[in-house]
Amino acid sequence: MALWQRLKDYKFCWAFIAVGLVFGLMVATQFRVAREQAQAVSIQRFNELMAEVRRARQEQQALQVRVDKLRKQLNQLAENPGLAELRSELDAARIQAGAIDVAGPGIEVILNDSSAVVQPGQNPNFYVLHDEDILKVLNELRAAGAEALAINGERVIARTEVRCIGPAVLVNKTERLAPPYIITAIGDPETMEASLKMKGGVIDTLRYWGIEVAVKKHPVVVIKAYKGATGFKYARPAPVEKGE
Amino acid sequence: MPGLPLWRRGSKYLKQKFFSVAVIAFVLGLLITMQLRVVSQPPAEIIPGARAHELAAELRRLEEASASLGQEARDLEDKLLAATQGYAQAEAALKTEIEKNKTQAGLVPMVGPGVEVRIHNRPTERLPGMNEHLFAVRDEDILRVVNELWGAGAEAMAINGQRLVSTSEIRLAGTFINVNLNRVTPPYVIVAIGDPDVLQATLEMEGGVAETLRKYGVNFVVEKKDEVEVPAYGGTMAFRYAKPIKEGAKD
Repeated sequence: MALWQRLKDYKFCWAFIAVGLVFGLMVATQFRVAREQAQAVSIQRFNELMAEVRRARQEQQALQVRVDKLRKQLNQLAENPGLAELRSELDAARIQAGAIDVAGPGIEVILNDSSAVVQPGQNPNFYVLHDEDILKVLNELRAAGAEALAINGERVIARTEVRCIGPAVLVNKTERLAPPYIITAIGDPETMEASLKMKGGVIDTLRYWGIEVAVKKHPVVVIKAYKGATGFKYARPAPVEKGE
Repeated sequence: MPGLPLWRRGSKYLKQKFFSVAVIAFVLGLLITMQLRVVSQPPAEIIPGARAHELAAELRRLEEASASLGQEARDLEDKLLAATQGYAQAEAALKTEIEKNKTQAGLVPMVGPGVEVRIHNRPTERLPGMNEHLFAVRDEDILRVVNELWGAGAEAMAINGQRLVSTSEIRLAGTFINVNLNRVTPPYVIVAIGDPDVLQATLEMEGGVAETLRKYGVNFVVEKKDEVEVPAYGGTMAFRYAKPIKEGAKD
């Protein structure tokens, strides 16, 4: 009864509304914070995970060294002159598969984020490099006859993907690259440079957004072998059809 | 009596009112303190879940890479052992090594589970006077779809029968898209071998490539398949510029 009387006093009513509002907001905030914490991970667990990743990376690198050594040994055994033809076939297959270090004439394309100052109201996202920009440069180089490609030393094979994760770019599933991105390509340097620099081409488009692009021709560039996983889990060679 | 403080305004009713406001203020104060303590705790001891998730994914990929490298090492060791036993064995070892690299390079037709992606323009929605090429499927759209599929772990892929290898381009030449220097025409059919669920989920992800293209009026269909076939690369395997580095050949 007393409450009813108090509520009739409209000033008091406002006080209740204000308190109710603040209280509601606080409960909501509290709820959200609690939920975030439930999803978060303790620093100890995170550090364990970090150590685990480091160990896995070391293991991968050690295995890579071993595989490289074994490949070299096999090559040496194949030095027998009678096997020369097979040897050159193996070399070609390995270049195509990205399984061997290669050298040859080529170019280097250096890409860096725009240094232009973004004006208020402009979308800063337009002025940073995207995975798509790198994809387009790679695609253009392939169209210009590039025979082997690498980004920041990571060999680009058929299965290579280029994806933005935060400010970095992830290639070959495990390699995290940071700008500047240096794309190395072996092929005819003149053709590759011309096709990149074509009017309205890739470099024109990138420069429009202020992305810094530099192209350098080299008489010899070296591209390392692919380091990642090469196995097939789903795909298997198609059965050979008889009577074709 | 507006000049007087609340508690001296006389009426018993007003005093009561003041008392309840004081109680509410007290409770509010307590709540704020509690909230502050909860909020000020986290930064030091807690890592956002997304970062840990990313790390876990990296760990999984590294382990996969290691498993595959370990297999490769064992395989090479077997071949080396065989090769030391004689000329014929060395030749056989070399041949299987060539076959393995050809499979890796895309020179062997492959089969396996995967997805089939059909992309084509929806001609009925084209309005008169509209720029035909504005919403037509472009080379970069296909490039994006292909990139997403590789990222999702696709192992082999072909567009309209053209196997994608490390030197394959997907590029507009005139009004047509060329793949491996061969013209491909709509509808574009991308066949990919890999985990069908993962491949489909990656494309159909919210805000993903399928959604974007559909927004532009492109007909985009992803179909899971128990078995798809990806043909071998038809081009030549000749390298004019790239030469293998002959490590250790001379020493």
